Amino acid sequence: MIPNPLALISEVTHRCPLHCVYCSNPLQLIATKAELSTEEWVRVFQEASRLGVLHLHLTGGEPAARADLKDLIAGGRRAGLYTNLITSGIGVSEARLAGLVEAGLDHIQLSFQDSRDEPAKWIAGAKGHAYKIALADKIRQLPVAFTVNLVVHRQNLDHIEEMIEFVEQLQPERVEIAHAQYYGWALKNRDTLLPTPKQLENCLRAVEKAQLRLAGKVRIDSVVPDYYARYPKACMGGWGRRLMLIDPSGQALPCHAAGVIPGLQFDNVREHPLEWIWRESAAFQRFRGEQWMPEPCKSCDRRTEDFGGCRCQAFLLTGDPCATDPVCSLSPDHRLIEMARSAANSGTAQVPWSYRTSMG
Amino acid sequence: MPSPSPTSQPRLAPGCRWSTHGEQQVVLFPEGMIRVQGTGQNILELCDGQRTVQEIIETLSGRYGAADPVKITEDVSSFLEALQRKRIVDY
Repeated sequence: MIPNPLALISEVTHRCPLHCVYCSNPLQLIATKAELSTEEWVRVFQEASRLGVLHLHLTGGEPAARADLKDLIAGGRRAGLYTNLITSGIGVSEARLAGLVEAGLDHIQLSFQDSRDEPAKWIAGAKGHAYKIALADKIRQLPVAFTVNLVVHRQNLDHIEEMIEFVEQLQPERVEIAHAQYYGWALKNRDTLLPTPKQLENCLRAVEKAQLRLAGKVRIDSVVPDYYARYPKACMGGWGRRLMLIDPSGQALPCHAAGVIPGLQFDNVREHPLEWIWRESAAFQRFRGEQWMPEPCKSCDRRTEDFGGCRCQAFLLTGDPCATDPVCSLSPDHRLIEMARSAANSGTAQVPWSYRTSMG
Repeated sequence: MPSPSPTSQPRLAPGCRWSTHGEQQVVLFPEGMIRVQGTGQNILELCDGQRTVQEIIETLSGRYGAADPVKITEDVSSFLEALQRKRIVDY
């Protein structure tokens, strides 16, 4: 029996004013003219709710690039979903923000690239830092849950303490310290982004200290980046087990990066009901359960906890989407991760960034 | 953050709200949901931002006549403190 999905991630557009060097969108972006309409999205939200989904995550690109964002939020709430906006804040004016909350927005997750203006601009390839700070102040005055998301990597981890103090001043209920994940654009820039072991150790210490200091005030969530973990992460809570992602054109994917895996056919919400896609779509069935697993996963006690790790990462690093995730210390390909780590630690000269480009 | 005082008025934090999942009562919050049942549900349903912790304890003591009032006080306090740390309850 396949459990029902709990969350729907809706990439409502791939348009974005930022060009972050670790952008998690696919290398090949969906064009504006292919995007689902307001009515199509709202229908999908209703189908999701009937399927048992509780949380709707509106993301992008930058979801505020859609003029109908307020209608999408209202549609999500009408469908009975908990509605979360994942945004850079760019394009959300004070007046517009009030409208989004009025439409029923439950939670806003605002991303920051740094505590300092110049490096933030350097990472995002665009200005926006001061605007985000002003927006955070406006968010705090409205009845909405507020999380600050801070992406960390080698280029900013040396001032992690300062960054934590900075986000604390924005008074969110939650802070997510998110280590860059090496898919898509971030993989291109991995040699410049992967932290050193020393930075990571210092980061863990700084986070622990802040968690103690801010207990009951700001909840800080942070996980060890998987390149430094002993075992892989349970990516998406397991393939086709918890989450569904709908891309701007209506294709349903088991995760953000699944498009990289060759041979997967993604069904579209324009052609099939969401429930059919969840239960029957070949892409969702491809890595469900344990049939596909190789050794050492197949006989490993952890297979029901981490499900063999991330399929996309396995493919991107080894060329085989069925391989054990190389970040696992038991993987026969683990040396690939060790090599990446030692490259990060060798102090070689910085390679120039490759900024996220708009289309492909 | 200290434990709630007798005069604290606990309530769900911003962005946290009741919902149902199938037959179950749940509280939704940004990263997920908690299934609430039994004593927890009884406590949380009284957290309306108006009632004080003292009043909540009295209401529950009235309901569970036989239960030890000290234990009820401890249960309410530790329950609220745990949810406050998760930023699901404010007081």
